[in-house]
Amino acid sequence: MIEIALRKIGSKEIAAGVIALLLVVLGLGGCGPDEEATWVDMEKRVEISYGKSEHAITYAYLPQYAHRVSYQRHRLLVEYLRKKTGLPVRQIFPNTFDEHVKMVGQGQIDISFSNPFIYVKLARQFGAQAIARSVEKNGQKDFRGRIICRADNRHIRSIEDCRGKRWIAVDPSSAGGYLYPLGFFVDHGLGPNDFAEIAFAPGSAGKQEKVVLAVFFGRYDIGSIREGTLDVVADKIDRRLIRVLADTPWYPGWVYAVRRGLPPKTVARIRQALIDLDPDRPEDRRILEAANFQRIIPSDDSEFDAVRRLATRLKMDLNH
Amino acid sequence: MIRRMRFRTKIYCSIIALLLLFGVSLAVVISRIATRSLLEENKKRGAVSALNLAARVTEPMLGRDFLTMKNLVDELTRSSPDVSYGFVLDRAGVPLVHTFQGGFPVALAHANEVADDESFRVRLLTDGSSRFYDIAAPVLVSGDRLGTVRIGMSREKVSATLNELLGAILLTTALGVGIAALVGTGLARTVTRRVALLRRSAEEIIKGNLDVATAPRPAHMCWELMDCDRSECPAHGDERRRCWYLAGTLCPLCVEGEYAKKIESCRKCKVFQTNSGDELQDLAEYFDVMALALGDRMRALEAAEQRLGRQQQVFRTILEVTPDIVCLQDRESRYQAVSKAFCRFFGKQEEEILGRTDFDLFHSQAARKNREEDLLVMQEARPLQMEKRVTGAQEQRWFHVVKTPVFDEQRNVIGVLCNERDITDFKELQERIAESQKLESIGQLAAGIAHEINTPLGIILGYVQLMLEDFPEDSREHQDLRLMEKHCRVCRKIVADLLRFSRHTESIKEPLDLNEVLAQVLALVEHSFSLDRVLLERDFADSLPLVHGDREKLEQVFMNLLNNAYQAIGSNGRIRVTTDSGNGQVRVIIADDGPGIPPEIRGRIFDPFFTTKGIGQGTGLGLSVTFGIVKDHGGTIEVETLHESELEEARAATAGNGQKSTGATFICRFPIHSAAPPDDTAVPHPAQSNRVRDKSPQ
Repeated sequence: MIEIALRKIGSKEIAAGVIALLLVVLGLGGCGPDEEATWVDMEKRVEISYGKSEHAITYAYLPQYAHRVSYQRHRLLVEYLRKKTGLPVRQIFPNTFDEHVKMVGQGQIDISFSNPFIYVKLARQFGAQAIARSVEKNGQKDFRGRIICRADNRHIRSIEDCRGKRWIAVDPSSAGGYLYPLGFFVDHGLGPNDFAEIAFAPGSAGKQEKVVLAVFFGRYDIGSIREGTLDVVADKIDRRLIRVLADTPWYPGWVYAVRRGLPPKTVARIRQALIDLDPDRPEDRRILEAANFQRIIPSDDSEFDAVRRLATRLKMDLNH
Repeated sequence: MIRRMRFRTKIYCSIIALLLLFGVSLAVVISRIATRSLLEENKKRGAVSALNLAARVTEPMLGRDFLTMKNLVDELTRSSPDVSYGFVLDRAGVPLVHTFQGGFPVALAHANEVADDESFRVRLLTDGSSRFYDIAAPVLVSGDRLGTVRIGMSREKVSATLNELLGAILLTTALGVGIAALVGTGLARTVTRRVALLRRSAEEIIKGNLDVATAPRPAHMCWELMDCDRSECPAHGDERRRCWYLAGTLCPLCVEGEYAKKIESCRKCKVFQTNSGDELQDLAEYFDVMALALGDRMRALEAAEQRLGRQQQVFRTILEVTPDIVCLQDRESRYQAVSKAFCRFFGKQEEEILGRTDFDLFHSQAARKNREEDLLVMQEARPLQMEKRVTGAQEQRWFHVVKTPVFDEQRNVIGVLCNERDITDFKELQERIAESQKLESIGQLAAGIAHEINTPLGIILGYVQLMLEDFPEDSREHQDLRLMEKHCRVCRKIVADLLRFSRHTESIKEPLDLNEVLAQVLALVEHSFSLDRVLLERDFADSLPLVHGDREKLEQVFMNLLNNAYQAIGSNGRIRVTTDSGNGQVRVIIADDGPGIPPEIRGRIFDPFFTTKGIGQGTGLGLSVTFGIVKDHGGTIEVETLHESELEEARAATAGNGQKSTGATFICRFPIHSAAPPDDTAVPHPAQSNRVRDKSPQ
């Protein structure tokens, strides 16, 4: 039947059909994507020069978390301070605890929000002065460290079980993440030499989270963090797989300090502005909640002697 | 040109053309799809890279860590060859880090603006020599815009990748075409080899050789497969045809009938399943079966043709030879066949007649009459007979016409067969017989009258002779009486002739020697004939058998014939008288060398009262009486004559062989005495006898 049809159609018609099909296919193929390109002058070029940034009151949050978290928490507070004090307050982000300490010493950080251990260092080394303390969301003026392990780790049931284990801490300068847990271990008869290894979270910012993740992934048997960190990493891991082995005793919480040499009036304005934040005012509450604070209360240097004592007990050198 | 190409070449060309078409189409379509998807993929990859970079630069941006930022953008351009450049802008649009060598192109900073609520934005940019997709992604932290990351994906590298892809497709297509061509060649060779076999077989058939074997011989014959030994089965021993093509096979599974009836049941048969092949083998088998069937049919056709030819020859011969006018006409009276006699009579060629009707050929009146007769025959479906006079090309003649209806197989009348026999001669004969009978009746009447007046005439003659004695011879009365006596004697002779004609005279028959009778008659007339120099020649047989006859009447017969000859000659001539015998007959021949008998009166010379003489010179009864006497003796009389008007023609016909002369010869035959006289009824009427030819003008 096909042959009959072919004979009827004839070779000329077949050839015409094939050519027509080719043309259609090539025509379709020819209609490829052909977008309009915008011309840009790539010839005119300049070298980038970073001009000196304008004068500002610098505000830094000890980088216990990632810069993003620091920024998110303190962005509104910094803005509030700018408006309230009329000072050009600007948040900067030191990459490490040491850098933070150094920058306070170098006068690059005017307002430091740090843990009490760093503060006692800053006070000792650079004459920084505490002006206020944060009250955490749970209403605690103080805070504490927390020792964690994997929930399914059957070998660790008590503090004593931590002997000979691998321990990861946040930073040698971390209060809740190292100093307080170390004091807790010492109080329970475990010295730094009683662990198979004491490691610190690598990199710069985000060290609290790194400790939790290191334990979560089984790289280390136990980890020490400040209380509240597990809430920060709740979106990254399953909380149920992390067991809290112990909490350290309470120590004074995080502290606002100003560098030595900052004009007292400025300090007073800043201090007042911080203290003025009222959790009952919706706009202030929004600022406080973003910073994970309940409120900010006045403070002075004497409130951190307990920390100084702990450091002394643990033979910590506050000058470095 | 394509039509003249060989089948195999056509298949090759078709396969290669189709594959090329397919390959090129595929290449084009795939390249088009691939181009789109590659570009989309490229854009997506660029977007993912930009978004990733935006996420990764957040920390260094906040920390003013230019080194990290720089590392990040450098790492991106290094790790992905598609990425031409990357840079980071702060929230004011000021570049923080970039990958350009020799300064940052300032125009690029604002060439692709992305809004805060857009995740990314792609724009195709060009610097004149190359094109690139610029992807911008905002760096956001909690909805705050920290800045923008931008990366450039080279469009040309995508094109290069596309070209590589296209090349690969074309190469694959070419390989495919090559492989398919090889496979197709093998396939085509298998097909075309068998097609070529079919073609050769077809050529053989065209050349007249119907004994072809196109299909392969079956691997196993049906009788082997079925373990059958029924040699009376038409399939048994036939290695040329598969059994399912044959009617009347004897397998228990076989259905009766031809191929069309049995094939469905054959499909289930083991033999079919073993020996059947693909469509080409089917075709070859059909071909062989058709060739064999064709051969059988042709032989049958040839035989039928020969039969038909013979029949046609017979038919032709009949039509050509028959003296009858024969014609076959269809329902519309168109002539389908005519005899030669038909053509001759109507003076037309057969070609002029066939397919025409009477109206085309003859006078309308005759044609109408013919058509009416035909219609009557066809209507009544019965033969029609009649006698009719038909006008031919030269003359009118009488015919006995029989028109017979012609039927087809369903007994429908499809035409008329007409047979016309010429009866003109018969008609004339009939007329003459009627005339003769009429004359004979008149003769009988006259004889009756003569008998009645014979006695008074004798008394008158007696008294005239008595009165003659009363008057002296030179007296007037004596002369008058002598004249009366003379005329009385004439009257008496007439009466005597009439009486002889009617055979009213008594016959006294006895055995006679005709030589003797003739000698007496010749002696009587020889002297008077010699006065007019008419010589008598005698050629008598030496001994003639006797005949049984009346001497006086036979003398009258010979006297009449001699007088006829003498009167025909007039003077200066000769009369030859011959006798002989044979076949139980005695023959007397009296021949003269007079002028002969004209053809137009030859048929009537023996009729009573027929005479060529003037009134009063003859009664016209002489030859009629002669005929009557000869007939009375059981003999026959016939005449052979050549008239002056025929002399030239006769001489030309003989072409100088012998001298032809005019004259008439009367031949009388008498049965010899010992032989029984023949039955009267066997003696033909003079007009019917072929031997009675003529009578000289007397």
